[in-house]
Amino acid sequence: MSTLRVVWYSVVSGANDYWSIFTLKSWVFGWLIRVVSQVTFFALIGKLLRTEAQTDFLLVGNAVMVAGMGATFALHQPTSERGNGTLSLLLASPSRPVVVMLARGLYVVADAIWSALLGLAIVGPAFGLDFPWPRALLVIPLTALVGVSAYCFSTFLAGVIIAHRNINNLVVNTTIVGLMALCGVNVPVSFFPDWLERIAESLPITDGLEAIRGVLAGDPWSSVAADVGGELLAASGWLALALLTFGRFIRAGQRDGSLEFAS
Amino acid sequence: MRAFLAGARIQIRFLTAYPDSLIPFFTAPLFTIVFLLVFKHAGRQDLTPYAAIAPVFIALWWLALFNSGWTITIERWNGTLEMLVAAPSSFGAVIFGRIATTTAIGTVSFFEAWLVARLFGTPVTIHHWGAFVLTVFATLAAMAGTAVGMAALFVLARNAVTFSNSASYPFYVLGGILVPVSLLPHWVRPLSSVVFLSWSADLLRATLDAAPIHDFWPHLGMVVLLGACGYAVGLVALRVILVRVRESGELSTT
Repeated sequence: MSTLRVVWYSVVSGANDYWSIFTLKSWVFGWLIRVVSQVTFFALIGKLLRTEAQTDFLLVGNAVMVAGMGATFALHQPTSERGNGTLSLLLASPSRPVVVMLARGLYVVADAIWSALLGLAIVGPAFGLDFPWPRALLVIPLTALVGVSAYCFSTFLAGVIIAHRNINNLVVNTTIVGLMALCGVNVPVSFFPDWLERIAESLPITDGLEAIRGVLAGDPWSSVAADVGGELLAASGWLALALLTFGRFIRAGQRDGSLEFAS
Repeated sequence: MRAFLAGARIQIRFLTAYPDSLIPFFTAPLFTIVFLLVFKHAGRQDLTPYAAIAPVFIALWWLALFNSGWTITIERWNGTLEMLVAAPSSFGAVIFGRIATTTAIGTVSFFEAWLVARLFGTPVTIHHWGAFVLTVFATLAAMAGTAVGMAALFVLARNAVTFSNSASYPFYVLGGILVPVSLLPHWVRPLSSVVFLSWSADLLRATLDAAPIHDFWPHLGMVVLLGACGYAVGLVALRVILVRVRESGELSTT
């Protein structure tokens, strides 16, 4: 019960953070335009290649990637707690830091999922992407699954780098482009050598994105379900790893003083 | 000149002290890999020069947006802006020295992108060396000029953080850094023509093509002109900022 209260207050606190970052105007004319441009940028490569299949592939991949990208931004959270001077208070409290971190960043994931869906809904029709009805509705929960899965992964990474604030942005940016390269966003993972394909499948996004492509292409439900299972497995794996290791990273930082005093 | 060099020296120290400022040098090779993978998968290795050019523009634009663009604002946050303004050397020269250094260091991404292309087995050949060197210099100058404009406007703008975070991909599309502007819808092209990246990207791609370059000088002139416009906007904004904070006496509190 007390954990639920901690989660609730963390969610409320995160929502307040969100509304202090964006106004409706700056979200629409800043963030949304960036999202639409990002999806358009990659979809245009399909035009350069002069193939409709490539255009659709790149468009869907990069729209869904927005959910993964936004969730990866949650990596900023522990370092912003440090920057605000609230991390030490959080560590001193009896609640588990990882629970607070996970719940506090939920607004980031919700925003990421919403942005990805809007990107797909706006840019898709502009490039003639077909949305088979009503099965296209499944794209909504599947994009949410991708966002949550990427969020579990980024929470694990947040623990790894919590004592190294000076490389936070570096890790966020390289992780995002790395996921774009590896997770079947721009080329199918089957194009990679076997060993790299295995790595890609253990990462978030890969299987969830494949499921979304399957839904839009009219693949058999068994194939879509297998991909959904793969994404659920990846999400729970990264979540378990985050829950297991976050506390250890925090304790290690407390022992050597790197949490509050490192740059 | 001494003020410019002093600005350059301090910027090198900043860049080496904060690994975050070197982000583009880590992402440029990754972007090159992404683009090369797409072209290789489509069997279009002939587009390798496109894949090698785009990450360079991404790196340079990132440095302009997140590094150079925040130069004056960070001086304010650090409380060093007052000393810089009070010093007898030129404020603008120090700032330009810092921004020019950042932009010049951005050229490292050229070598990274091309090295990755070579490792992919698709080396990039420069067919028009003279035009290439001139275009690179004009692009760097225009980028530095634009960054001066951003640095000054970011101090005045209330939503500078939002702008920085949002102004990447819209300019990559409008600037045609990967997909030429000629493939964009007609109604977008007038907008593209006032973004110096579009002229610069077209020229750089042309220098990597064996075919003769058409209208080289007018294109190069547009790169320089648009960069100069950014610089002029920056200088005017800098003057406005300094006059405003001196008159209101709020230099250290704004």
